[in-house]
Amino acid sequence: TQLAASGESDSIKVFVRVRPLTQGSGLTTDGDHNLCLTVTSPNTIRLLAKPEPRTFTYDHVADMDTSQDSVFSSVAKNIVESCMNGYNGTIFAYGQTGSGKTFTMLGPSELDNFTDELRGVIPRSFEYLFFLINREVEKPSQSKSFLCKCSFIEIYNEQIYDLLDTASASLFLRENIKKGVFVEGAVEKFVNSAAEAYQVLSMGWRNRRVASTSMNRESSRSHAVFTMTLESKESINDIVNIRTSQLNLVDLAGSERQKDTHTEGSRLKEASSINRSLMCLGQVIMALVDVSNGKNRHICYRDSKLTFLLRDSLGGNAKTYIIANVHPGSKCFGETLSTLQFAQRAKLIKNKAIINEDTQGNVK
Amino acid sequence: MAAAHSHEWRAVCEKFTNAQTLTDVESRNDPENDPFRSKYKARELLREIYCSLKSFEAGEGEEESGGQPTERPLDGQREDGLARLSGDSPAGLRAAKLGAVEYYLGVNHVDTEELSAGQEHLTNCMKLLDRCGVSSQNVSLFIHVRNQLGILWAGREEMETAQGYLETAESIYKDYMKEDGSPPTDMTEYFTTEENLLTHQERTKRFELAYTHTMYYLAQVYKNLEQTERAATYCQSTLQRQLQLNQFSPMEWALNAATLSQYYITKGRYMEGRHCLSAATVVSGLAGEVPSEAAARESETESERREQLRQKRAEIARCWIKYCRNLLQDARKLLEDNIGELDTDRQEELKRERRRDEEEEEKGRKGAVLFGSEDTFDSIASVEEKVLCLYPLDFTEARAVFLVGQNYVTQAKEYYLMDGYVTDHIEILQDHSALFRALAFFEEDLERRCKMHKRRVDMLEPICNDLNSQYYLLIRRQLMFELAETYSEMMDLKLSVANRQAETESLDNHTIKKFNHLCSASVKYFQMFLDSLCSPDGKFPEHLEEDVLRPALVARFRVARLQNRLISSIPSVQLENLNKSLENYKYVVEYCESHAAAAPVVETELELSKEMVGLLPLKINRIKAKMAANN
Repeated sequence: TQLAASGESDSIKVFVRVRPLTQGSGLTTDGDHNLCLTVTSPNTIRLLAKPEPRTFTYDHVADMDTSQDSVFSSVAKNIVESCMNGYNGTIFAYGQTGSGKTFTMLGPSELDNFTDELRGVIPRSFEYLFFLINREVEKPSQSKSFLCKCSFIEIYNEQIYDLLDTASASLFLRENIKKGVFVEGAVEKFVNSAAEAYQVLSMGWRNRRVASTSMNRESSRSHAVFTMTLESKESINDIVNIRTSQLNLVDLAGSERQKDTHTEGSRLKEASSINRSLMCLGQVIMALVDVSNGKNRHICYRDSKLTFLLRDSLGGNAKTYIIANVHPGSKCFGETLSTLQFAQRAKLIKNKAIINEDTQGNVK
Repeated sequence: MAAAHSHEWRAVCEKFTNAQTLTDVESRNDPENDPFRSKYKARELLREIYCSLKSFEAGEGEEESGGQPTERPLDGQREDGLARLSGDSPAGLRAAKLGAVEYYLGVNHVDTEELSAGQEHLTNCMKLLDRCGVSSQNVSLFIHVRNQLGILWAGREEMETAQGYLETAESIYKDYMKEDGSPPTDMTEYFTTEENLLTHQERTKRFELAYTHTMYYLAQVYKNLEQTERAATYCQSTLQRQLQLNQFSPMEWALNAATLSQYYITKGRYMEGRHCLSAATVVSGLAGEVPSEAAARESETESERREQLRQKRAEIARCWIKYCRNLLQDARKLLEDNIGELDTDRQEELKRERRRDEEEEEKGRKGAVLFGSEDTFDSIASVEEKVLCLYPLDFTEARAVFLVGQNYVTQAKEYYLMDGYVTDHIEILQDHSALFRALAFFEEDLERRCKMHKRRVDMLEPICNDLNSQYYLLIRRQLMFELAETYSEMMDLKLSVANRQAETESLDNHTIKKFNHLCSASVKYFQMFLDSLCSPDGKFPEHLEEDVLRPALVARFRVARLQNRLISSIPSVQLENLNKSLENYKYVVEYCESHAAAAPVVETELELSKEMVGLLPLKINRIKAKMAANN
């Protein structure tokens, strides 16, 4: 049961991080020192499953001692650089509640402590991005200017909420021939430095908390998407060259909640709670309609909001990293297994360019 | 039963009602940190009910427990020699009541994630029932408990076990309907005082709904067992039952039926596909009129309803488009010869075949009736009549299918506007283009055929150029490839027309100009496609990813051929074109030499490229020699 590590060219990469056991995380498994996994190499992890252990292979596996800086270097550095070159980039954080997602992405606490050695991937990405921008701008021959804006939204129950404007009602996704997919009416804040970007982020993060208690939304069941749009303008001999790219930082709903949604393979969808409505029947039929025989078909059920919004980040010309956080305690075995399986499936997600090629009649 | 009128019995009924309310209503408001509070309360009540029932039993004695021996065993269990109770006897009824409590306790435990305990209660329910024969008193419970066990075992990924329970439920239902069929007692009625018993109509409704759920679960089980054909059949029965029993919401039903049609068309079963779509169209009509724009502005509910209805009807239209598109394309595949032209012999043969089959077809159709309730049957049939479900065999028939498809294209585009729904809008245009392309195959007049392809260019070209290449890279690639091929097709048609008219090898200047224009346009789009694979600094990748491997190599190959075909009387231009052509042929050959996986993907193209890499230098040298001689 070992899957081969994929080559350099893959657009989706997976980074697995194992959190240490010691610090109190509120997880009931604290104090349980039985481990259910071992990191066997920088890209393999062995899960002590029964009857025999299973080995999983990813682009990178970080053990308990890995520093925040090294996580940033392997995951985000390259993506931030690509963003400067006009590529879109996305970093997803995935894992069970308590497995270290927030620590990896933000740092030990949500303070605006910008110099903390333990600060996470997000503040480090902001710093690096503005470092690159400043370096570019300060070049003597440079005619480049940059514009940076941020938005922060939350997807809960297939509804979109603006975390920068908690007063707004739920928003809609739209598409524009020039702008691609966007959230209509989402607040965009201009930022000029890493500190400002971080301020926007922490404001949204606080709002997420507030909303989750006052409006009865659970943050562990919602996805939060922080988007930084970078626009660069370069004028060479009167020709203005504008390039935009997006950096998406996504905090996915806790993986232990996934069993509520349709990710869990073979569970039957029950009708008793839905009673008259058998909406899910469509999902069953959908699974029967395959495209392998070259026929063209339409499926009436739309993508989830999250996949639609990030469609371009799941293949094509974007760079994507998934950080899968796991807790090593043996009590978390089930959740860890499902996280590892999700991470492996994620590598298979790809938007394929199906070309309706017709060679018949042309090679004569 | 003596206890039925007593004070104690009323208390039991009350407890039961409370337990139901706790389970169905109050549990929804349980706090996050105590999610099963109401269910635990309900469980306690059920346990008390169970004890009360037991004590009634003790009080009344066991005088009736002998009962009458009855029917055959269920679930393949062998007869254990014990006499079985009639379901209607007092003892049978008592068993059913106890069974029902076990059933509710089972469901309660499953809901609170205590699966093994849940299984035990459900199994106890089965044991109690197995002492009895199936009767109108207990048949509903027989089915419900198996539905639940099916869900339970499917959750443990033991699909075959789940399948066993559900298939037994199915046969119990069928046998009951055949042998008795009277509206059976609902389990809730076991714990209802006499004045609150259900009407026959309500009993039937609940019973039929339980069986609809059996069908629905079986559809899922078969899907998980990868028995797709069976799964589809059960999806269809579920839909048909919903329709017949009037247990559905129209738009939802219509979308499910439209989705099912896509299953049938991918299997090439157009009669069933058409039937599903016609039913979807008719049933979606039952959802009522789309509120006007003015009404939508007035109220939020109307606005939401308008949005929902318009979107879902557009979805159904899009399923129809796919139907027309696939039907035309399949007909084309049947009729084309090895160079992609209409094979008239084959056409004649298929027409004869169809005449022969027509009578049998009529019989077959009557046997395959799928959907309809008393009210909808005729409407569905009349929608069906509007489009062929047999392969169109000539231009007239193809055109009729095309027009239906085109009509749905217009409908779908009314909702899926470019501004707001770029991806959907373009997919509809791509279908429209595909409809034209398939229709063009049937057109005998080459000039008119060429015009059809021009229509494809006109609808796709402006969009391809306007689309943001970063956000719509994949769609743009598809469009570029299609445009390249369309231009190339037009070029071939122009050449055939010119050759037919001139009857000579020499082409007039106007035609040459036209030809070269189409040829260059095709090259341009293939080249654009290839450029889209480059990195931001403009480098073509050394290693092509699997999903673009074939398209990229084919594009190179096609560019090579097109450049070779450009007509020019100026030797230096000729030379330039041929050199470009050679370069592209060489690329294909060299790429396949250095990447072992590539050769099998482009077998034919590779063979021809190798040949051309051998031949072209000779031609190039001849021109070079001629140029040198002329200087």
